[in-house]
Amino acid sequence: MRAGRYRGSSPVWATITVAIMAFFVVFLLFPMALVLYKSFVGADGSSLSLGHFAKFFHQKYYWITLVNSFRVIVCATLCSVALGIPIAYFMRTAKIAGKGLLEILIIVSFISPPFIGAYAWIQLLGRQGAITKVIDAVFGVRYNGIYGFAGIVLAFTLQSFPLIYIYVSGALKNMDSSLVEAAESLGCTGFRRAATIVTPLVMPSILASSLLVFMRDFADFGTPMLIGEGYKTMPVLIYNEFMSELGADDGFAAALSVIAIVITTLVFIVQKRIASMNAFSMSALRPIVAKRVGGLKGSLVHAFVYAVVLLAITPQAVVIYTSFLKSNGGQVFVPGFSLQSYASVFSGANGSAVWNTYRFGLEAIAIILVVGVLVSYLTVRKRSLLTDVLDTITIFPYIIPGSVLGICFLFAFSRQPLILNGTAIILVLSFAMRRMPYTIRSSTAVLSQISPSVEEAAVSLGASEMGSFLEVTLPMMAPGVLAGAIMSWITAISELSSSIILYGNNTQTLTIAVYTAVVRGNYGNAAAFSTLLTATSIISLLLLFKLTGRREVSV
Amino acid sequence: MSVSIKIDDVVKRYGANTVIKGLSLEIRPGEFFTLLGPSGCGKTTLLRMIIGFNSVEGGTIAIGDRVVNDIPPSKRNIGMVFQNYAIFPHMTVAKNVAFGLKTRRMARGNIADEVGKILRTVRIGDLAQRMPTTLSGGQQQRVALARAIVIKPEVLLMDEPLSNLDAKLRVEMRDAIKGIQKDIGITTVYVTHDQEEALAVSDRIAVMNGGVIQQIGAPAEIYRRPANVFVATFIGFSNIFEAEMSAAGPDGSRSIAFEGGYSVRVGNIAPESGARRVKVSVRPEEFEVLSSGEGIGAKVESRVFLGLSTHYFVRTSGGRRVEAVLYSDDERSFKDGSDVVLAVRPERINVFGFESERSLTAEAGR
Repeated sequence: MRAGRYRGSSPVWATITVAIMAFFVVFLLFPMALVLYKSFVGADGSSLSLGHFAKFFHQKYYWITLVNSFRVIVCATLCSVALGIPIAYFMRTAKIAGKGLLEILIIVSFISPPFIGAYAWIQLLGRQGAITKVIDAVFGVRYNGIYGFAGIVLAFTLQSFPLIYIYVSGALKNMDSSLVEAAESLGCTGFRRAATIVTPLVMPSILASSLLVFMRDFADFGTPMLIGEGYKTMPVLIYNEFMSELGADDGFAAALSVIAIVITTLVFIVQKRIASMNAFSMSALRPIVAKRVGGLKGSLVHAFVYAVVLLAITPQAVVIYTSFLKSNGGQVFVPGFSLQSYASVFSGANGSAVWNTYRFGLEAIAIILVVGVLVSYLTVRKRSLLTDVLDTITIFPYIIPGSVLGICFLFAFSRQPLILNGTAIILVLSFAMRRMPYTIRSSTAVLSQISPSVEEAAVSLGASEMGSFLEVTLPMMAPGVLAGAIMSWITAISELSSSIILYGNNTQTLTIAVYTAVVRGNYGNAAAFSTLLTATSIISLLLLFKLTGRREVSV
Repeated sequence: MSVSIKIDDVVKRYGANTVIKGLSLEIRPGEFFTLLGPSGCGKTTLLRMIIGFNSVEGGTIAIGDRVVNDIPPSKRNIGMVFQNYAIFPHMTVAKNVAFGLKTRRMARGNIADEVGKILRTVRIGDLAQRMPTTLSGGQQQRVALARAIVIKPEVLLMDEPLSNLDAKLRVEMRDAIKGIQKDIGITTVYVTHDQEEALAVSDRIAVMNGGVIQQIGAPAEIYRRPANVFVATFIGFSNIFEAEMSAAGPDGSRSIAFEGGYSVRVGNIAPESGARRVKVSVRPEEFEVLSSGEGIGAKVESRVFLGLSTHYFVRTSGGRRVEAVLYSDDERSFKDGSDVVLAVRPERINVFGFESERSLTAEAGR
């Protein structure tokens, strides 16, 4: 390919474009294409057929998982909206005591690994749960635990409402108080004002975030796997089919993956449409000021906000508490506190899980930083047909459910010429690919704020094109890039759905260790692993707040 | 039908910080009244107290006979046009304008009639079904105005409504606003920091600074007879000279001695003032610029040609920089570096106490 084809770009940038493109072709397009191909290859291994898809849609045992997925997700999304909107509204418009801490707790409950919520609720409301025992004692019943539908919805809701909160809160922040005042001067106040002015204005944010919740929960594997029991959802089926001890059916697993991708892609397209409908590009000259709400009304508002936030943070609290409990060395807790769970998770094979998490995470971030920054630079500053294609391709990792990406990788890299199966590299690459979008998006956002004339000035003063990028643009991008990288990091270390498929004996990570410990019933170790994970996330989050000077995350 | 607004000794406090301490003001029925002052002078604060978005920490605000201190904004029956218009972006023009009528539970047919009528009044009848984002700044301004007046409020408040428009549109819109206000005869309080705008639209102006009213009066009165040095320099441009004023002679007139020995006699100084040091304000257009004769000696440093007029920047022999204006077609014209003489017209100048900076002129507005 000749460099001259790239408009306004030097051979160096042309080479980089091609290299980045090659990276995505090998580690994203090729695995996806392979899965697509496999899904259409018949049982005989050569002819093309729709057999795998027919199998899925003909047998209730299979298609019911899709119905199940939709049922829990629709339910959880509605619950998340019902919690997220009022909390955002109250936090913006009313003076709430301890607001700063509440904001942090909401974000912490959002960034902690989803399945930890599921496992903590099992500890509370499962068959042997602490609350279950109380219920049984008080009512003299035998409560069977919150498994299945209710459990999944509970865990999903508490995990997802913060996303709605973050979006709606952001929209309310951009709303000028004069809009509210104008309504008031025209005689419209209270609930009526909230319904006719405020809600329609934040509706695009509500819809956009609802669909993000939908996508996120649809792709979540850990939660339904742990708390779902007989209630199987689509990602659980994909995992089971792929890992089946009866001999995995590659073609069928591939077909399931394709179905999942189609669904998330459709949701994503609708989400994009709705987000772009946000035509009221509002910017607040005078943002809405939180007012003191007194009396019964104030008490109710406080009670509601605190109840929801406490509920959302309960899993973390339970996990941290459990991690310090004394056990008999196995699965049974005995009275008293000890650090024995921590001693256990740092020793031997367990210890390597801790070490692996940080190592893989950092290596993935290194890849993400280099590739992410270059991708955003190319798509913003060196626009061409090829970089537009690149721009589109980099959306896929965001859309593809983790377990599906895991399967794509395993199919693609279990054979010549590239055998990565069971290595650390395949995990690092999958983390990098899955969590790249955070960094690309925040880099792109900050880059589009930087005037190209800054770079032109550097060039006019004699800097080379690459020099002006490295010495002028890159330092200016740094804060935005780092903010994105921290979000990439936080989400990478809590990754489960792809790593559960890709890990090998020597490449366990914390999330996998938690999962395995929970499955084995070793709640002490699971709690200690989880606490390490949560602590890392919180420290990273505080670092992010410090760096950006704001108590916000971009999602 | 028009009502007055009586503001009596009102106080605005933010925590320990008192922004307005005891301000009184009466706005006449049907009047176009402007609060004018630099940013941070308290004019918007006062406006928001009138509608009720700001609380009142002392004194009373009465609209007509009704003290409104404790009436919520939604019950005050005041229309307001916001600085950024605050058009509801998710509603059509017609829906925006109908909004206040709906909250007042007007019958649907009547709403349509009223909306149509008011949109024609503000001359955007053809835009009824458009979404606000497709409108120009001037059109949005008209929507905001229509929405505020369609509810037939007793009072109309406007908070810097033209500050987001470009210069040409600003002139066009201020004339439109003035015209519409005259037609419907509503008591209007208008806030601006732009003195030219204030002079153009107002029946009366209150010039504010530091939360205190400096002067209230008709535009011409404020311009010609500013109550203090602040008003003289904030409204239009004034050159300030230091001078010596003599005691009153037998006919009551006094001499004002400028630098370099030039003096004039003025007859309109309040009789109680004795001989003293004073400040004198002279507007650029009030000089006679001569090549020789009696006056303050000066040298032309630079000129700016603005079409209709030419501004001369001169330095007096005492070292003071002064601006003077001549019509461009005046037969006199002076080159850079030429020596000139500035004579003043005694009846036009304003004399202020040196320390107090308050006007000593007898008929100056208070």
